[in-house]
Order: sequence, then C-alpha cells, then structure tokens
Amino acid sequence: MLRFTLKRAVLMVFMLLGLLAITFTISHIAPSDPAALAAGPDANVEMIERYRVEYGLDRPVYEQFAIYLGRLLTGNWGKSIHTTRQVWDDLVEYFPNTVELVVFSIMIAIVLGVPLGVIAAVYQNRPIDHVIRILTVTGVAMPMFWLGLMAQLYFALHLGWFPLGGRIDMMTDPPGDITHLLMIDSLLRGEFGTFLEALHHIVLPAVALCFPALASIIRVNRAEMLETLKQDYIVNARAQGLTTFRIVAIYALKNAMLPTMAMIGLRFGWMLGGTVLVETVFDWPGIGLYAVQAAISSDFEPIMGATIVLGFFFMMTNLLIDIIYGILDPRVRDQV
Amino acid sequence: MNQLIRMGFAASMMAACLVTTAVPADAFERRDGEKILVTAQRQAVPTMDPSVKYDASTRTMQQAMYDALLKYVDTPPKVVPWLAKSFDVSDDGLTYTFHLVDNAKFHNGDPLDAEAVRWSFERTLTIGKGPAWMLNSFLKAENIKVVDATTVTFTLDRPFAPFTSFLPWWYIMNPKQVMANEKDGDLGQAWLIENEAGSGPYMLKRVEQGTLYELERFDGYWKGFQGPLGGIIYKLIRESSAQRAALMRGEADLVTGLSPDEFDQISKAKGIVTSTKPALTAFGIKFNTQGEKTSDINLRKAVAYAFDYEGLIKIYNGRAVLQTSPFTDSILGKIEVPNIPRQDIAKAKEYLAKSKYPGGGIELEYVYVQGLEEERLMGLILIDSLQELNITVKMVPLTWANMVARGSKVETSPDMIAIFATPVSIDPDAVAIQYHPSSQGAYYGVHYLDDATLNEMIETARFTTKWEERKPIYEEIQKRIVDLQPEIFGMMRERRIAYRDWLKGYEYSPVRMTEEVDFYPLYIE
Repeated sequence: MLRFTLKRAVLMVFMLLGLLAITFTISHIAPSDPAALAAGPDANVEMIERYRVEYGLDRPVYEQFAIYLGRLLTGNWGKSIHTTRQVWDDLVEYFPNTVELVVFSIMIAIVLGVPLGVIAAVYQNRPIDHVIRILTVTGVAMPMFWLGLMAQLYFALHLGWFPLGGRIDMMTDPPGDITHLLMIDSLLRGEFGTFLEALHHIVLPAVALCFPALASIIRVNRAEMLETLKQDYIVNARAQGLTTFRIVAIYALKNAMLPTMAMIGLRFGWMLGGTVLVETVFDWPGIGLYAVQAAISSDFEPIMGATIVLGFFFMMTNLLIDIIYGILDPRVRDQV
Repeated sequence: MNQLIRMGFAASMMAACLVTTAVPADAFERRDGEKILVTAQRQAVPTMDPSVKYDASTRTMQQAMYDALLKYVDTPPKVVPWLAKSFDVSDDGLTYTFHLVDNAKFHNGDPLDAEAVRWSFERTLTIGKGPAWMLNSFLKAENIKVVDATTVTFTLDRPFAPFTSFLPWWYIMNPKQVMANEKDGDLGQAWLIENEAGSGPYMLKRVEQGTLYELERFDGYWKGFQGPLGGIIYKLIRESSAQRAALMRGEADLVTGLSPDEFDQISKAKGIVTSTKPALTAFGIKFNTQGEKTSDINLRKAVAYAFDYEGLIKIYNGRAVLQTSPFTDSILGKIEVPNIPRQDIAKAKEYLAKSKYPGGGIELEYVYVQGLEEERLMGLILIDSLQELNITVKMVPLTWANMVARGSKVETSPDMIAIFATPVSIDPDAVAIQYHPSSQGAYYGVHYLDDATLNEMIETARFTTKWEERKPIYEEIQKRIVDLQPEIFGMMRERRIAYRDWLKGYEYSPVRMTEEVDFYPLYIE
C-alpha cells in the first residue's frame, strides 16, 4: 500500500508539471497582450513597455516558463498584472471559500444520493423508482446556474427564507483567519452567530451546485445496487433468512459503494474547478470566479496559480479515492 | 461569463411571473446608529492606488477617499475648483499657478499642503502607470514647484490646452503616510492596494477581497457634508438579476449594472427612483481604413448610408440618441455636422457604384465582444442593412483581450469592429486625438486613419491655448472626420441608474464612466 501511494505521488509531480507546461503554453500563445490590457486603453508605448519589463513579458516564452518555475520553487507565486496583488495572498483568500462550498455541496449529494440510489434499486420499476429517475434526469440536464437563479428568485427574493448571496451578512465582521474556512474559523473562535449566518448563506449555492453530482451518485449507485442484488451471495443471504435491511444496507451496499466512491471523488474534483457559474450567481468569492476573471484579462500568474491549486487538489482527490478503494477492495491492494 | 449573463437574463424573464410580489423592502443598513449606503456593483476594485489605475470601479472608490485640485460636476460637465480654490495661467500658456484651500487635511490629521500636491504628481509621473499618460509627454516632475504652503506652480514643456481638464483624475496623497509604508522602493504601491492616504470625504474601513469594500465618513472633511451618512458599502453583485433583487429587497440602495429590460421592469416598482442620463460614451462601428476592402472610402460611405440607425435606438428600448458628430454631446465645441450619414439606400447604392465593388458581392468581417448581447444585435442590423448592397457580413465574436490584440496591428485589424469609447475629459482633444495616427493600435484607433489635413488640425488645436482660436478648428475637425468616414457614427446610450427613494443628493455627470458613482453628495434622509 505504501509503495502504491509513493508511486502515485511521484507520478503526480510529473502530471502537475505537464499540466503547468500545457496551461502556460495555451495562455501564452493566445494573441492578447496582457501588458497593454493592464496599462489601460490610453497608455502610451513606454507605459506598456514598463509593464512588459516589470512582469518579464519581454522575454521568450520558454525563458518565462523557466523563470516562473524557478520562482515557484522558492515559494514566490508571482503577482497579478491586473490587480498587482500577490497571487498567493489571493489563492489563500479565494480557494478556501470554494472548498467550503464544494465540501458542503458534496455532503448534501452523498447524504441524499446514496439512500435514494438504494431505494431506486430496491424498488426497481415501481413508482418511487420513476420519481427518482425524473429527478436524476432533471439534475443532469438542468444547468446549475439556472437552478441557482430560480432558487435565488424564489427562496431569497419571493419567500425571503435565504439571503441573496455572499458568504455572511455584509455588516458582520468575519472571524479572524485561522484555517481560512469561514465556518470552521467561526466555530474555533466560538462565534456561533457567525457560524449560523454562514450556514444560512451556504444552503442555496450548495444545493444548486449539488444537483449534477447528486444525480450521478443516484444513477451509479442504483445501477451498482441492481447488479449486486443479483449476486449469488445475496441470494444466499436471503435464503439464510436475513432481514432485507441487513442484506441491502450492509452486504450489498458495501460492495456497490466502490464505483460510487470513484464517482464521488471524480465529481468532487470537477466541482472544485466548476463552481464559477454558481459563484457568479451567488457572489461567492471563490477560485472559479478568480480564475475566470484572470483568464478574461490574460493575467498569466493568477491563471497559473489557480491551475496549480486546482490541479493539485484534483489529483489528491483521485489519489485518496484510490487508497480508499484499496482499503475497501482487497483485490485492488493485492494487484499493486 | 457573458453567455451566462445572457441566459441568466432570459431565466429571470421567465421567473418574472414567479416573482409577482417581492418581499417588502427593509430599511437601510445601520452601523453604530448611523445610516449606511449600500451600493451593488459588478466590478471589483483591483487596486485603490491613484497612481496605478483609474477604471470605473477604482475611480468610484478613489474619489470618495481622495481629493484632486479640480473636480468634474454637473450635466453638461464642467470643471470646478476643489483643493485649488483658484488658478492663474501665464500669458504664454506655460505656467499654471494653483492656490490651495488652507483647511484641507489628510485622514490622519496631517495638513494637505503644496508639497503634498507636488509629491503626488511626481509619484504618478515616476511610477508611469494609470493616469500618467495624460500629462507625461509635456510635464516633467522637476517643473512642479512649491512656492509656499498653499501655492504650487506647474510649468509645461509647451502650451497644452487640455491640461486642466485632466487634473480631476490626479488625486493628492499624503507623502509622509505613503513613504512610511514604502517597500523595496515601490513608492508605497503594495501598501496602497488596500490602504489609502487621502483627504476625501470617506476613509477606507475594510476590504473583503471579492466581496465588499467599506468606507466610513471622515468627520474632519474640509468641505463638510450635505446630509447625514455614516458610511458606504460597495458590495459586489455580479448578476443583473441579483442586483435587481437586492434593490427590491432593500439590501442595496443604489445599483448601476442593470440590463435594459431589467431596468425597465424596476422603473415601475414603488420606492425606486430611476435615472437615465446621456453619457459621454460613443458607440461606433469602426472601419479599418487601411484594410484591403475598407480602404475604399466609397465602400465605407455606402455601408454608412445603408446602415439602419433607428435599429440602434431600439436595442436600448429608446434610451439612446444618435450621434450628430464624432464628438458626443457634452464635449466642448461639439457641433451638429450637417451631412452625417443616415439610412439612405439610394445614396448607399450611388456610393457603392463608385467603389471598387460596384455590384457588391463581397464579405465584410464584423468583430464584437463575445457575449455582449447589444453588440451582437448591432451585427444583425448590419447583416440586414447590407443585404441591400449585396454585401454579406461575417460576425466574429472575440473576447475583449483578443479583440484588442487583433486591432493592435493594421494587418490584422478587422474590416469592422464594434467599439464603445468614453473620453476621459470633456476637452475636444480627448476625442479628436482618437483620429490621430498616435492613437493607432489603441482600441479606439483601430480605424488606422492617417489624413494629413486632419492630423495638422488636431496638432494645431491641442497646442493652441485660446478657446476662441481652438473652437473653429474643432468645427473643421468634426466635419473632416465625418467626410473621411472612418466609422459608422453610432449613438450615445443613456446611463441607467436605479436607487431607493430614501437616498438623496444623487448627482450625475456624463464624464463619469458607465458604472462610476460619486459618493460625496449622497445621503440618506
């Protein structure tokens, strides 16, 4: 198991490097001129040149890449040409917001998705299965932001149950940063009012974000459960007179969960990088918004910073899933 | 993102039936018993540093925290004394002497004196970013001299008439405070991103990156206040529909980013005041006058006469007016140019017959900002209008960055390109210079116009100091630009601002950018 983990970790370093090289190339061959954009529409040639020199954009691309990597190794993530802020400071501020949203969202998806998948399988082709199917098809097909907008209009504007957007009320001072995760920090500092406020704010965006994941979890879990329930050992268990609950919830579910786990891991990774639409609708200051803004203004260093963070966490999630797979399924462990 | 906005907009229309009765608006926000104004804005503030940036969101914050020597107010805009209570100009037009008010002080209590003025101008010129271009080609830092605590003189390298029209955008910073926070010789640039050292009516209270910026009233403001307001929250709400919802719920008191339809909806709501005012921004479809096909002036004229101008107005539900000159209405010396093209198919065909393409049969490229619905609709109007001439239009949506990049070289600059341009001042030179070769490559210079007669007039006018002498030259300049037809002269859309009726004192000036607000006169009753 240890060898397996190590091997994957080494591979990850190379994958990350590859990802960096690709992102760097793509962002640099786009025809736009970040120095001119940053200097503003009226800037004269010398002013643009000043930006170009300051940010090293006057050098050949391969040299820029080498300089970038060198600086990265010393912990310098560069600064944004557009805002002149340090990329690292931005990442520390924006990424935890996205993590909080995605974790909360995937939790909703798991808590609802797994039981619904089981129910759909157990009651295959009965009315409840059809209802769940409609839900999953809708979940997959419905654009997240549309769902978000609708939820915002109905639950926030019409009913007034939830806030329109943001992470906490604008008049509330956020708790001092410890982990940079607002909900955790407010708990650590004993500010329960702020915690409840943050919880209140996260519900709508998290629900809007969880739908596609929820739908996939239900579909995969249902399919796997159906498969598992046909297995000989289940038939045997039934013959032994075990209760349906015991058979389904313990024997079948454990085995059916493997592909579902993989799906959850994959979805989690996707969601980290795919929150921009929900973040826009609910003004959630997350990394998706940050990265898109950087891409629009051809702001290379924030693009690279966001790519590294997102790429790293995507790979970490996959590694984690592989390890859990190994724990749940001895065959995987033995192959390695 | 714009795609999202468009679809979101469609979604909100569908939901309009859903939201028939919105939750009644709450009262305004308060902090420590004082009323707080909340404004919902789309654009984040990248940096607060007055020497580094001056875009709409940045300037909104800057002019609340800083003062300049002069200030723009009113419609039509005029420049009024501010930190400088008066100024004199020498007979040769080279030396400007400013007399400062004596009661202005910075937020930390330091007096605002002539040295602070000199240092602030020097800092912006040295850093060479943001507004530096406005003055750096005819003003050297060493030619700014402190005479006494309230007098400062600027000696220009050569007479430059628009000089004072730029000064409202040069803010005065506290040298001691900034230099105390200098790091590695950066003249305080890193510190001023999220801090301020101004003398303006409001002080920066907190910055929550990507979420909000909060200002608090500076009680010692030298000019005093018109009404009660404890502070201001500049809150980022990026979706038009969410902005509307925030205004309806009373969570925001003032919004500026509503789409035309959203604006129409909200203007009927109770308790909401809407204002539509003409702006300094011009919209035109620029030709590449050195392009393979569009270098033919007869073709350009043909296209300009075939274009359906009324269609432009319809896109804005009537909240726009056609340009009657290359200069928009608030620009000094603007005249109504008599022969500016309007749709006239017969004339269009006449010009086409004289061109290299008498029978049409060509395709012209139209480049616009990806996802910007209004510009896409303008493209459709173009397709429709040019059918009459047997000319087809290829619509090419690009991101702003890529569009600017294509326009930056004459070889790649497209046949036609949709451009909104807001001049930074009301001096006619701010627009005229856009048609001078020195502007080529900038987004408003994608026409690559280079006409000797015009160039000479522009150069003469900008270095002439007496308005009586400049005025007739600018009349000729406007006529000449229209004759050369470097673009389809389009329209001036009105700014759409919506606010709660408890908000008082709102003052508008066309010189402000699309989402820019001057907080100073605002208060809540």
